[in-house]
Amino acid sequence: MNPADMAQSVLPLTSSDLSLFTLFWHAHWIVKAVMLGLLGCSVWVWAIAIDKLVLYGRTRRGMDRFEQAFWSGQSLEELYRSLSAKPAHSMAAIFVGAMREWKRSFESTSRSFAGLQTRIEKVMDVAIAREVERLERRLLVLATVGSAGPFIGLFGTVWGIMTSFQSIAASKNTSLAVVAPGIAEALFATAIGLVAAIPATIFYNKFASEVNKQAQRLEGFADEFAAILSRQIDERGVG
Amino acid sequence: MNRERIASAISVALHAAVLLWALISFSGKALDATPVDSLPVDLVSADQFSKMMKGQKDAPKKEQPAPLVEKLAEEPPKPIEEPKPKVVEKKQEIAPQPAAAPPEAAPPPDAIAEKLKKEPPKQEAKVDPKPVPPKKLDKPQPKFDADKIAALLDKRDPQRHVATGEVPNLAPALGASQGNDKRLSQSEIDALRARLMSLWNPPVGIQDPEKFVIRIRLQLNRDGKLAAPPAVLTSGDGQLFASARDSAIRAVFRAQPFDMLRRETYDTWKDIEVTFDPRDMFRG
Repeated sequence: MNPADMAQSVLPLTSSDLSLFTLFWHAHWIVKAVMLGLLGCSVWVWAIAIDKLVLYGRTRRGMDRFEQAFWSGQSLEELYRSLSAKPAHSMAAIFVGAMREWKRSFESTSRSFAGLQTRIEKVMDVAIAREVERLERRLLVLATVGSAGPFIGLFGTVWGIMTSFQSIAASKNTSLAVVAPGIAEALFATAIGLVAAIPATIFYNKFASEVNKQAQRLEGFADEFAAILSRQIDERGVG
Repeated sequence: MNRERIASAISVALHAAVLLWALISFSGKALDATPVDSLPVDLVSADQFSKMMKGQKDAPKKEQPAPLVEKLAEEPPKPIEEPKPKVVEKKQEIAPQPAAAPPEAAPPPDAIAEKLKKEPPKQEAKVDPKPVPPKKLDKPQPKFDADKIAALLDKRDPQRHVATGEVPNLAPALGASQGNDKRLSQSEIDALRARLMSLWNPPVGIQDPEKFVIRIRLQLNRDGKLAAPPAVLTSGDGQLFASARDSAIRAVFRAQPFDMLRRETYDTWKDIEVTFDPRDMFRG
């Protein structure tokens, strides 16, 4: 059997059709699985990124609006009444939680001022933790894809190069036409891995810093509000 | 969650668009490598190279080499006749004879006797006025004319052999543009030089190597041995030159027989000069 014919039979992929689809179709099933997995990862990463971009923008705008309302000289009671009607997020959630605890303490028959300060701080801490958890949910997926994507792609590459070496061994011919399809498919796997991993890494870094910034802002508001409430408690307790 | 579902849909749509674009842009164009014209390379061995005759490398190739002809023949050489079966010819010749000959061949004996009787008086009468030239004999003899002998002689050089043919062979033979058979090839000269240089031990530490260049004339026999003692052609003075010269002569003696020289080119190396140059040695 002619070596060239043998190469044709081993790898029907000739250099003339290196389109993306044939590249994928002639790959080994492991390489196919790697490619499909990486494609799914890429889809997921972008879904998370779009979701988070929307969420963070909305959260930031909500915080701006709330701070404006909070420092506008409006009565805290009125603000609480308007906000507690609907489920609130971020700063509003912290404010609502703290106010609820405050009101409960005052409205109950036994006025317990002793532990009120501690209780309010606890409530606000829990609210902050819940908000931060909501903000950084599924960010870990981005981190994982960003770090593991190239390795998964590299696995596909190694497998493809193994295939190409096997085709060399089968055809006993080292010409580029025998080796090239295997290497092309192998490099395609790495390319998909990088395509998935690079946006994941960039988005993860951006979102991590964003979450950090918003958590700082929530903490700052919580401390300020705690100070205000503490002053109120002291005044009322004395009075 | 509604927002997450929207985000997923956007992401899927984005990837689908990118994949579609990639499918369109990557497919189609096949990378055609135009095959490079192959360059014919002739491998010529050293022996063939030194035996090359002068010629043109790109001369048109002939199916059959024309015979070497320098002169046009007056008439094309006659094709050799096929020997016909002789029996048939003879029969044809003989066959008519019996029909025609008997009347003449067998005249009546009386007639001959009559003729013989008539002739003697004729001969006597004719002999007197002029001698009759001898009559033809039965066999036609080759004419011999002494006057025409000169025309038959070839006045050219008797050593010369000219082939004649229909077409003079003017086309150059195939071969290299610079070929000269009857010369020592460079490889033979180098071999001879290397042999002599390996045996020559010039004195070490000499100051002016150009003063120790020694030319020696060698006269060789066909078997590659010296025919005469080597003659030193350069002269110099000093102890060092004498030792270098003696060493060169010893090298010549020890190097024989010079069997790297081909017998066929004996004419070119039966009398040669060899140069011993210390600079060649120290150059490495």
